[in-house]
Amino acid sequence: MNTLPWLILLLPLGAAAFITLFAQGNRKLSAGLSIAAVVAGFVLSLVFVSSNPWEPARESTFTWLAIGGFQVDFGLRFDALSLLMVLVVTGVAGVIHIYSWGYMKDDPGVSRYFACLSLFTFSMLGIVLASNFIELFIFWELVGVSSYLLIGFWFERPAAADAGKKAFLTNRLGDFGFLFGILMVWTIFGSLNFSALQEKLTLNPGILGGAATLIGLLLFCGAVGKSAQFPLHVWLPDAMEGPTPVSALIHAATMVAAGVYMLCRIFFLLNPPSLEVISWIGGFTAVLSAVIALQQDDIKRILAYSTLSQLGYMVMGVGLQDPTQAMFHLTTHAFFKALLFLGAGSVIIAMHHEQDIWKMGALRGKMPVTFWTFLAGTLALSAVWPFSGFFSKDAIIAQALSRQNYPLFVLGITVAGLTSFYMFRLVFVVFFGGEKSAPAGHAQESPQGMLWPLRILAAFSIIGGVIGIETVYGLRFPSGEAQHMLSGWEGVWQRLWMPFEHSPGAASVGLLAAAIGFLAAFALYWKAAADPLPTKLGALSRAMRDRFYFDEIYEALFIRPHDFLAAIAAWFDRWIIAGVAVRGTHGTTELLGRALRLVQTGNLQTHAIIFALGVAFLLYFALR
Amino acid sequence: MSILTFIIGCPLIAALALVFVPRNFRVVLRAAAVFATFSSALLAIIMFVRFAANTSGYQFDQQVAWVPSLGISYHVGVDGINVGLVLMGALVAFAAACVSREIKDREKEFYILLLVMTGGILGAFASLDLFMFYFFHELALVPTFIMIGVWGRGEQKNYATFQITLYLSIGALIVLAGLIALYLQSGANTFDIPKLTDYLRSPEHRLSLKSQHVLFPLFLFGFGILVSLWPFHSWAPMGYAAAPSPTAMLHAGVLKKFGLYGLIRIALPLLPDAAQCWMPILAWLCLGNLVYCGWVAMRQKDFNWLAGYSSVAHMGFIFLGIANLSLIGVTGAVLVMIAHGFLAALTFGLSGYIYQQTGTLQLNQLGGLLRKLPFIGGALMMAGFAGCGLPGFANFAGEISVFFGAWKVFPLITILGCWGALIIGAVYMLRALRSMLHGPLPEKWAAATLSDATHLWRRTPFLLLLGCLLLFGFAPRLLTNRIAPSVEPIVASFSPAQPEGSAAPGVTEILRGETPRLTAWNGSSGLEKAPTLVAHTALHTP
Repeated sequence: MNTLPWLILLLPLGAAAFITLFAQGNRKLSAGLSIAAVVAGFVLSLVFVSSNPWEPARESTFTWLAIGGFQVDFGLRFDALSLLMVLVVTGVAGVIHIYSWGYMKDDPGVSRYFACLSLFTFSMLGIVLASNFIELFIFWELVGVSSYLLIGFWFERPAAADAGKKAFLTNRLGDFGFLFGILMVWTIFGSLNFSALQEKLTLNPGILGGAATLIGLLLFCGAVGKSAQFPLHVWLPDAMEGPTPVSALIHAATMVAAGVYMLCRIFFLLNPPSLEVISWIGGFTAVLSAVIALQQDDIKRILAYSTLSQLGYMVMGVGLQDPTQAMFHLTTHAFFKALLFLGAGSVIIAMHHEQDIWKMGALRGKMPVTFWTFLAGTLALSAVWPFSGFFSKDAIIAQALSRQNYPLFVLGITVAGLTSFYMFRLVFVVFFGGEKSAPAGHAQESPQGMLWPLRILAAFSIIGGVIGIETVYGLRFPSGEAQHMLSGWEGVWQRLWMPFEHSPGAASVGLLAAAIGFLAAFALYWKAAADPLPTKLGALSRAMRDRFYFDEIYEALFIRPHDFLAAIAAWFDRWIIAGVAVRGTHGTTELLGRALRLVQTGNLQTHAIIFALGVAFLLYFALR
Repeated sequence: MSILTFIIGCPLIAALALVFVPRNFRVVLRAAAVFATFSSALLAIIMFVRFAANTSGYQFDQQVAWVPSLGISYHVGVDGINVGLVLMGALVAFAAACVSREIKDREKEFYILLLVMTGGILGAFASLDLFMFYFFHELALVPTFIMIGVWGRGEQKNYATFQITLYLSIGALIVLAGLIALYLQSGANTFDIPKLTDYLRSPEHRLSLKSQHVLFPLFLFGFGILVSLWPFHSWAPMGYAAAPSPTAMLHAGVLKKFGLYGLIRIALPLLPDAAQCWMPILAWLCLGNLVYCGWVAMRQKDFNWLAGYSSVAHMGFIFLGIANLSLIGVTGAVLVMIAHGFLAALTFGLSGYIYQQTGTLQLNQLGGLLRKLPFIGGALMMAGFAGCGLPGFANFAGEISVFFGAWKVFPLITILGCWGALIIGAVYMLRALRSMLHGPLPEKWAAATLSDATHLWRRTPFLLLLGCLLLFGFAPRLLTNRIAPSVEPIVASFSPAQPEGSAAPGVTEILRGETPRLTAWNGSSGLEKAPTLVAHTALHTP
């Protein structure tokens, strides 16, 4: 049974290596290999899941590095959390791979593109299946570098090259804290394996002592970087410089999901105070990015900020001690966010790489499939019953209510309203109203190779909430109030109504907020030719548009001082160490040599005088 | 005859043979050099594979008495610590011989010097006799100076040659003084390293603390100068920027590791008490490499200077690994030595190749080269990733071991060092890649014909080095299984009673608010302070 998961993990790596070494320049072979690897991975995961139970957790390992007591295994861990996530990653990534061929087939670097895409999938699968901290960290870094390569795919464009660099470095900041969390865990437990850690913690709950909160927060640092939470959220919007399918991959199945996934994986290590911090960071990120999204004009940037905001929900869910619902939202979000990005890609291609929504308009009739699927994604993201996003988002908001954390509940509801507002703003401006530019007039529907992925993802965005995803995740995180869920069609029916039975207040207020957001968007943007908000909000609108100046603040606070320190070090090195110390030493030696040379004139009289003086000097001491 | 004698002998005999080849037989000259280094590399691979892992002690050793009255002999042999270094040295030498086609004048002299340097390097790492150990190092060092002086490049060539010669000679001289003093102080009347080690490690012959304290700084700073320990590093970037790429590859990659090897092989086992006192100081100095030199690298405008500072910065990992005197740390340090050898050789080989094509390595004049040079650019990107410690490359395995080893002993230094490794290292590497390879291609280069090493033969050295980095990155146990058993006896005298990896006290206990145990220096409260001498005299005087 153990070869199958290894195959699932290694197929994309094999594809990436083969393309890099042998298939450069053969476009069809590259794409074919890459797509085949991930689709085969999906099929094999289905086979594996159907022939094996979700739980209990099992492992398949070998030793990667062992020096004395420092042993690092390389292993795969199968439990409900990792297995379902493997299905999501291979499934969503597979659809995106197929779409990519339609989107990228005329690009000269298509082989490189698919090689990087496969590497990205491999790294994410590694995170999902990792059985210990070091292995997780290894794939964590590999995800970082894959994103660097893909965001900067069009490296000749300065903006893309800079965005890749920024993503990598911002992630590194998070990893810095993450690594210390790992080091501290190792010092205390003497082990890094998740199962062993959980066992030891169960046996000795007080083992972490006063360091527990610090460890929790340091480990959370990793998630802050990877899942782009405040204050390290700045890289994600810039990551829009990559090709659109890459954005879909980063935002849906691979990169940003990794942070939330990691938090769920190590959930047993997080203590209440650190969870409190985590929930507030999540909530704040959700609201901050939703507000910024209101005033963005680039179709991909709006979606990027909506991802930030939804990730905030997930992190908040973890912080509210409900990892099941966080993973549930992660999964449904993977469906509808992939769908929205691929839909946006379809629009961008039709608009000849125009991304400003105020130059689009009236695309509904010209691109019917894109429009209807995009609408499905929008409804899911806005949490409209019975679309998938409703169930997962409602569960998190309901959790805030049931834990009597009213501030976060209000925050969650506000974000729900804002989400619905900016998403319908996007839909109205892009698909309705009048044509705002010439390309919008002769836009055409994308080819079928790009439309089928949209249809598949749309189907899952609609039904994703009621097919029992949260029940599977729940197997990993059993909670006291677990309800008995029926199977088959009855289970679907039960889930469809459950939010209203379980927490009617949260469900109805959430729906109301979405409705208000929709109506506000309708009032402002239905057939609007220009954005009415800037005139109404003034300076606030400008601040939102400029993303509250986080980039500028960080530039001034961190990058400049760091460069300044570097400049001081370089100055010191050049003038003090290499200058005064080294040149000084040899200069003094040389000067001394020159001074002594004056004595050696070769003049007989001088020598005679010095000789006589010397004799007199010696005689003085000898005869004294 | 040990296989090691053939590994060392191949290049030296080839150098001798080349003396008799007329200078216009260019193909013969080059082929002989490549063939000789290739044979060495092949034999080194055979030796590495046949080396019995998981055991300590010397293998493949051979001893021929030379000056019995002084106890000098030709003695070669490898244990886990130098078997990987010999392998790395031989492979890098082969790669350096391959890229030597950039040399277009006085090829005969160049190849002879290159072969002498190779023989010296391999001899220095294989020697188990203090005299030969030093002799072979000098044999490698002198050709370095000549090669930089004659075939070097850049305006500062002469000053660089002058400085590197004087600087490294001073370092070597200090080491020599230390070695002679050690020989005299030991009273064992032998230069043989295994014998001397056994002799001095027996309690009755242990060197007095006083003489240890005189000897150890000589080794620390003598070897330190040879490895560009901060603040004795300024020769390195300037020297590497001026050196022809084969020389830079061999020196930065292999010869520089001689000092570190000397610390691990001689200074730590023979002078353990002084070593323990000096290690906290070394740990602070290594921050000068990791952080300070990283900052300086951020400001460089020439890629070769940047690579030089980066190579100096990487030495910080090795010093940190040595300084914590634990099995994990020292094993990690040896791992980084090998990994960095491949990496430095790869970086300087590629930068030399680009220099041949463009005639400049000024970062602001380059740009967008990845479009024109997909292979060379791609390889340079991978070298950059390896340089910022990305998993998959051998450096990561070594660096993470160093950090895990150091964390318990020097938590604060580890935090600062990690900042240098994870953040500063990434910043300067990615900035360099950004300005050389990415961005729009300047018109100057768009019009120029740049060759991307299309011939497989020209790609061989780069593929070989990259392959080694990846091989040992994916399977670091190939090395650690050999290194760790040999490191164990060296660190055994330092390790406190508690087993490594168990819940050792340290920062976390302090954080937890528990009273730390005050038993061992390695353990807890004296973390950053030099331990008191009293404790050690009490421990070690019988």
